[in-house]
Amino acid sequence: MQASLYPNLPGLQKRKQTFRFLLDWAAIITLGLCFVIFTVIKGNSFLSVDNMINILRAMSITTVFGIAATVTMAADGFDMSACTLASCAAYVFVSMYLWYGLALWLCVVLSILVTLVMYQLTMFLILVCKVPDMLATCALMFVHQGLGQWYIGGGAVSTGMRLPRTGALPARTTLSDSFSAIGRAPWIIVIMLLCVLAAYVFLEYTKHGRFIYAMGGNRQAAKLSGINIKAYRYMAGMITGVFIAIGGILVASRGSSAQVMCCDNYLMQSLAAVFVGRSVGGAEKPNALGTLVGAMLVSTLENGLTICAVSYYVLPAVKGTVLALALIAAYAGKKEE
Amino acid sequence: MDQLTLGTRNVSLEFPGVKALSNVDFEITTGEIRAVVGANGAGKSTLMKVLAGANPDYMGEVYLGDKTVDLRTTMAAKKLGIQIVYQEIDTALVPTLSVAENVMLSHMVVETHGHPMLDWNKLRRQAQEVLDRLHISVSVRTLVQNLSLAQKQMVLIAKAVVSKCNFLILDEPTAPLSDTETAELFRLVKHLRETQNIAIVFISHRINEVIQICEKYTVMRNGEIVDTAPITGATTTREIVEKMLGRTFEETFRREHVPIGEAASFQVSHLSGAAGKVNDVSIHVKKGEIVGIAGLVGAGKSELCKTIFGAYAKTGGSISLDGATLKIATPSHAVKNRIAFVPEERRKEGVLVHETVSFNLSAACLKNFCTASFIRKKKVDANAQRYVEDLGISTPSIRQLVKNLSGGNQQKVAVGKWMAADCDVYIFDEPTKGVDVGAKQDIFHLITEITKRGCSVIYASCENTELLSLTDRIYVLYDGKVMAELATAETNEDEIMYYAVGGKAVRA
Repeated sequence: MQASLYPNLPGLQKRKQTFRFLLDWAAIITLGLCFVIFTVIKGNSFLSVDNMINILRAMSITTVFGIAATVTMAADGFDMSACTLASCAAYVFVSMYLWYGLALWLCVVLSILVTLVMYQLTMFLILVCKVPDMLATCALMFVHQGLGQWYIGGGAVSTGMRLPRTGALPARTTLSDSFSAIGRAPWIIVIMLLCVLAAYVFLEYTKHGRFIYAMGGNRQAAKLSGINIKAYRYMAGMITGVFIAIGGILVASRGSSAQVMCCDNYLMQSLAAVFVGRSVGGAEKPNALGTLVGAMLVSTLENGLTICAVSYYVLPAVKGTVLALALIAAYAGKKEE
Repeated sequence: MDQLTLGTRNVSLEFPGVKALSNVDFEITTGEIRAVVGANGAGKSTLMKVLAGANPDYMGEVYLGDKTVDLRTTMAAKKLGIQIVYQEIDTALVPTLSVAENVMLSHMVVETHGHPMLDWNKLRRQAQEVLDRLHISVSVRTLVQNLSLAQKQMVLIAKAVVSKCNFLILDEPTAPLSDTETAELFRLVKHLRETQNIAIVFISHRINEVIQICEKYTVMRNGEIVDTAPITGATTTREIVEKMLGRTFEETFRREHVPIGEAASFQVSHLSGAAGKVNDVSIHVKKGEIVGIAGLVGAGKSELCKTIFGAYAKTGGSISLDGATLKIATPSHAVKNRIAFVPEERRKEGVLVHETVSFNLSAACLKNFCTASFIRKKKVDANAQRYVEDLGISTPSIRQLVKNLSGGNQQKVAVGKWMAADCDVYIFDEPTKGVDVGAKQDIFHLITEITKRGCSVIYASCENTELLSLTDRIYVLYDGKVMAELATAETNEDEIMYYAVGGKAVRA
């Protein structure tokens, strides 16, 4: 509207560009500011190598779930049930390891496979029954919770517990070092970075990734360009499934057990990371690097504020505020329809 | 270069209840720019959709060269080099992707089989080459959502010519464009014709543009091709318009005489807005008068109505009622100032389809039926009963949901809603769209009734015969501007059409 009021004012154009630039890089600028402010206040107790690793470790699980959400949302999908499904993946992972004594790699593979099989149900509801994503996954959230807990018999899967129902002794009584290593620095950080890299390369540098973005941006146009949109929505779903399973495995390994509903609480922060990352660098769509930045922002804030002795129970308010600001940056500049 | 010919032989197409095309023989050869003109609903777009494979149920045959081709899918048409750029350009572009990707999207799907990795440099270079070739200056890295409408259209044309393209159909490409943007588009079209073996079909309502750019024109009327003729220096707008209208006239509505007030009651001066689609419009309406707004689709009729009503932002001008200036920034202000608006998209904007007839008829003035914010059901029902009878709305009961009524009856509900509100100014936007003849007469009677109460009526329609039979005066819009003010008693369909296609006010 303003443009038509003052069409030929170069100063306004310039101001608009600067404004746009600030909005595009808002998340990174905020991140930089956080670092500067926390360093000024707390000096080396914030800006130390150990603490940097703390931040990276704390953000890694959120990032992996965020990457899962990124792929789904790139295809204009939405998955409310991602983290409840991750809990199931965690149950499978730990139970295979402890109850049945399978090799670690086999537990990882089985956990991913079971997740993918369960994801078929999500895809069935969305693609075949044409239930809107939000509603379908909302319903499945409860299905996952119920099925998962039926499998583990209502209690956590951890060392020293008998098998539910049969009451048999588990095959393993302790967790090996390599099991625990997955959940610790540096491995958890490496895994997170690999996930980001994989999603980044897939979405930015393969044509399949671009087709997923195309169908996410305008389903009709993508279809008319000859893209098989159902196939690509399915592909996005399957890739999401893999990242969900990886997230579940990280949670289990970090917690040395699969607690009941251990992953469920990660949903909101992973979505927050995606939304914050959406506008980073003017991408205007969910993207892997943006999600990384989003997760880092949330994690840095949490870490810094904790060091500054802000009570843990106030932190959600701060996180929420940052999310709101990032969303304002992403949407306030939009032209009105 | 090889000459290719694309044509239809005896092509007919029926939609439920309507014969959209009957026995059409159309032919075009590469190297020409052909205009297809006709009034609304003449079948232009329908025919083009057949050629683009988007109307799979046609009868008759389509041929390319000496071979008959089967155009039942859009893919089939594309493979034969028939590309279409629809009027709704936003349905064909992905706003969140870059220009390069949008231009190359179909190409990526078809041509890069077996190469999963994307070569960004190559992709951008190829897109750049196409844009350079067409002399389109848009950065390939820009996201499409940041482009102007004209630039988006250029990108779409570029996308069409990246793939095999021998026949390029442009469906009303200039409707949303400004004059300079149109000039740029014409440059592109001429450039394409000169540099590639291509035929361009140009659908437009703007006859002066057609004369300017095309070599031949085809006139359609009621689903038939009336004439195909070359455009020479002697071709006039008037000649084409006459062919478009033919000599057929609809039966007219005889309206009763209603006394009209002396002075202008509702006055709109120098109004601009709706993102440039309403441009310095001044109109006035007297008490008891029906003023028509004529113009083709896209001329800005709806935009004008909505801008007056406050649904679109105003950038200049003023509105006054009986000498008092009104401040109308939102529809809510308009209603408070006793202005009623019956919108074109009635299901979407005019009635609450999931509510009952009774509720709809009281929705615009629910306050009158309330006691301290509590709805008095009896009053609402009494009101509904009265208007159902007055307007002859055929519904089994006032409890019926509006979505179950026929189009004409829905429209009556949309009008009745405002009748109950007792306004001073009524604005109607295409109230007879999709309404059968009987209901049309009822709605005309309704509008006449309104004027008897001393109200002012603005009636926007692209059906000129309706305007001629119903209104007292007519303003003709073109490109968001008023081209002419005509007294209904002294004008005719030809004259309205002449101004509506951009003719200048030189005739007596």
